Amino acid sequence: MIAERLRSALGARKVLTGKAERMTYRHDAIQIGALPMAVVLPEDTADVVTTVKLCRDANVPIVGRGAASGLSGGAAPARESVVVAFTRMTKLDLFPERREAWAQPGVVTATVSERAKPFGLVYPPDPASWRTSTIGGNLAENAGGPMCFKKGVTGDYVKEIEFVDASGAVHRAARDAFDLAGLLIGSEGTLGLITGARLRLDTPPAFTRTLMAHFAEVGQAAQAVSRAIASGAVPAKLEFMDRACLGAVEGYLGIGLPVHAGAALLIDTDGDDEETVTEELELARAACEAEGGTVRVAANAAEAEDLWRARRAISPSLGRIRPHRMNEDIVVPRSALAEVVREIEELGREAGLVVAQFGHIGDGNLHPNILYDPKKESSDAVHALAHEIALVAVRHGGVLSGEHGIGSMKRDFMTDAVDAVTMDVLWRVKRTLDPRGQLNPDKLLPEVSA
Amino acid sequence: MNHDIPVADLGPAGEIMAHAVDACVHCGFCLPACPTYALLGEEMDSPRGRIFLMKEVLEGELPLADAAPFIDRCLGCQGCVTACPSGVPYGELLTTFRATTEQKRERPALQRAVRAGLLTALPSPKLFRAGAYLGQVAKPFKSVLPRALQAPLDLLPGRVPAKFDMPTFVPAQGKRRARVAFLAGCAQQVLAPNFNAATLRVLARNGVDVVIPEGQGCCGAAALHTGARGQALSMGRTNLAAFPTDVDAVVTNAAGCGSGLKEYPLLFKGEREEEQAISFASRVKDVSVFLAELGLEPMLPLAKPVRVAYHDACHLAHAQKVKAQPRSILKAVPGLDLVEVPEGDLCCGSAGTYNIEQPELAGRLGERKARNVLSTNAAILASGNIGCHTQIETHLRRLGSPMRVMHTLEVLDLAYRGELS
Repeated sequence: MIAERLRSALGARKVLTGKAERMTYRHDAIQIGALPMAVVLPEDTADVVTTVKLCRDANVPIVGRGAASGLSGGAAPARESVVVAFTRMTKLDLFPERREAWAQPGVVTATVSERAKPFGLVYPPDPASWRTSTIGGNLAENAGGPMCFKKGVTGDYVKEIEFVDASGAVHRAARDAFDLAGLLIGSEGTLGLITGARLRLDTPPAFTRTLMAHFAEVGQAAQAVSRAIASGAVPAKLEFMDRACLGAVEGYLGIGLPVHAGAALLIDTDGDDEETVTEELELARAACEAEGGTVRVAANAAEAEDLWRARRAISPSLGRIRPHRMNEDIVVPRSALAEVVREIEELGREAGLVVAQFGHIGDGNLHPNILYDPKKESSDAVHALAHEIALVAVRHGGVLSGEHGIGSMKRDFMTDAVDAVTMDVLWRVKRTLDPRGQLNPDKLLPEVSA
Repeated sequence: MNHDIPVADLGPAGEIMAHAVDACVHCGFCLPACPTYALLGEEMDSPRGRIFLMKEVLEGELPLADAAPFIDRCLGCQGCVTACPSGVPYGELLTTFRATTEQKRERPALQRAVRAGLLTALPSPKLFRAGAYLGQVAKPFKSVLPRALQAPLDLLPGRVPAKFDMPTFVPAQGKRRARVAFLAGCAQQVLAPNFNAATLRVLARNGVDVVIPEGQGCCGAAALHTGARGQALSMGRTNLAAFPTDVDAVVTNAAGCGSGLKEYPLLFKGEREEEQAISFASRVKDVSVFLAELGLEPMLPLAKPVRVAYHDACHLAHAQKVKAQPRSILKAVPGLDLVEVPEGDLCCGSAGTYNIEQPELAGRLGERKARNVLSTNAAILASGNIGCHTQIETHLRRLGSPMRVMHTLEVLDLAYRGELS
């Protein structure tokens, strides 16, 4: 039995074998997967190597896991597996003079910025779940966040990674020659287990201004985004939420959001020159007003923080509307935004399902969420609608995943988005690094007939 | 989350639990808010994990005994409820789960006896006082006693304070502005009689007539939260009968008791008195909320500024969502410099009978809280709950600190009397 072998190799403290323990490690924030055969809580890279080797010898699949706040099924085992939860690998070393940090995968995302702050530094990637999610999970999914419009996503802040491959070999990969680090980032635990990363830190902007604008209709909000960017504003963050989201978040926080609006935009401008920051905010305000929006500028940092807390709470707040959801994570060209948002709203109406939309609209990233109650609504209809939404993205020249990964949720749609030749290359890469298919099986790449 | 909880078989309790499980989207936003997750770092000891475990037990997929250790380690602080964007009523789930499963639990004899003893003594100031005197005598022999008896002794004061006889009525001074009924609380009458004395003085000073109904008893929270629903129900019935309805509010100065009273609609769900319980609970107010709404009579400025740290009791901040009011009434003292405690949202580890049943974890949380409190360099720590008070004071003394720990109303009382320094 793999559980006993792991126990005797690593010690009881690092291996959970009880049913109760294993039951709590089989999900992420969207899917509930198979009951793990054992849960390993490694404390260093050597523990990971031991685990991988034992699993390889026993032919048991491995699923990596951070805080399991992911939204594509990435960390939920698709079949009986050993779950490797990295939450005890929390070592974080700062090198302020080089503006770098070395993080083990279990470090909680927000901690990096908190620890860097006294040195006048910040780690920009800011997924909504940053107080919960871990660096390892962020790397596996190449997580984004509101900051990504101006500052980029997790992958843009990684200089080097350490990973353990399916044979148990430890690699160090930087971004030179073949960008092997880039290959592992966003590979959702299917190519290797990331055990450390050298992260790039940045200086925080001296000034930030925030506004919220609300609109009667979703398309107007999307048009305001294009107008604002065309007029020369480079907002630091540019977020979109529709009426359903506004209602759900208001139910949680009660901070006076415009719940009757069709949609709202949340915009930050930032930089080191106060005049430019204000100028850019004014450009955004003018664009919103030109599209018929009502604008409210946050009077102070506390008010801005309230609005951002609202934004970060959208995804989990949707549970207030329906207990279940299918989360999409499409990216479309900005020029197509208004049309895409309207088309998706219409598809939802036709299917008779609640669709809530939000996202980092500044870079075309949208999260249409189909909300449903499995006791009352058919999961086939939900899946069919999700597929339709994916096709809308592809039709408008977009992609299936901006930041949450493909996981098991969108795996079936990959063949719509990726041509056969490219898919073959992806599979060949997978087989090279994981010849026996033991790393997070049934995720990301759809089965193709050979 | 999807579930197959047999709601029909479980009755009203089943509905409550199924609704809570339904609402959880397992996003993990609760993890950083959970004290046991902060200490142990494992899913089973997080709110999200416990929801999974309770669901599996209710569905018959997991034996209760397998889940129990993790459910027992929950403090019930409800920090996760504040952090939960989906609005999962975790507190209701936990309380109801404990109440429906307690009779199926197998517990060692000594643990059973300690529990029974606590549930008998805590609600009765007379018995509790007798117990406290006994404890005082037993303290020197602590090391030879079984572990289960050591923890309660640790928390007893070196000397039991003199008794304060509760009046049945305290008239308003000056112009009458309101009339309230007051819940006297149980353990705090013995451990900190000045909480009530100070509260009554401040209320009177602010023009409030206070009725202290003689027939009142324990709110029943300790019983309910340890799974003794029958006992809690009978205590609830006593109070529903004892408290008058023709008052502006039912006021409490103990966060735990206040939440206990506010939980009557949950306790009486499906019972004959459900309506009455809802109406009663809607009149219950923490004294800080009542005074903030009433508006405080002015105080003379302090001779020199006093630095006061405020500790959020979980049963005020998380269970009752009362955070602003205690701060606002403290800030009403001219010259009082109010400071925040780092990690303020994290439970101090007292949590009802938790520090007696889970002394090791409670101790780690208590020490962590005391260190955070010390880092504020305040002269006084104010809080609104006897449990937190005892716990934090114990740990401050253990760290060698002489910092004064007071009830929020004691601070106000001293300020009114010109004795705050």
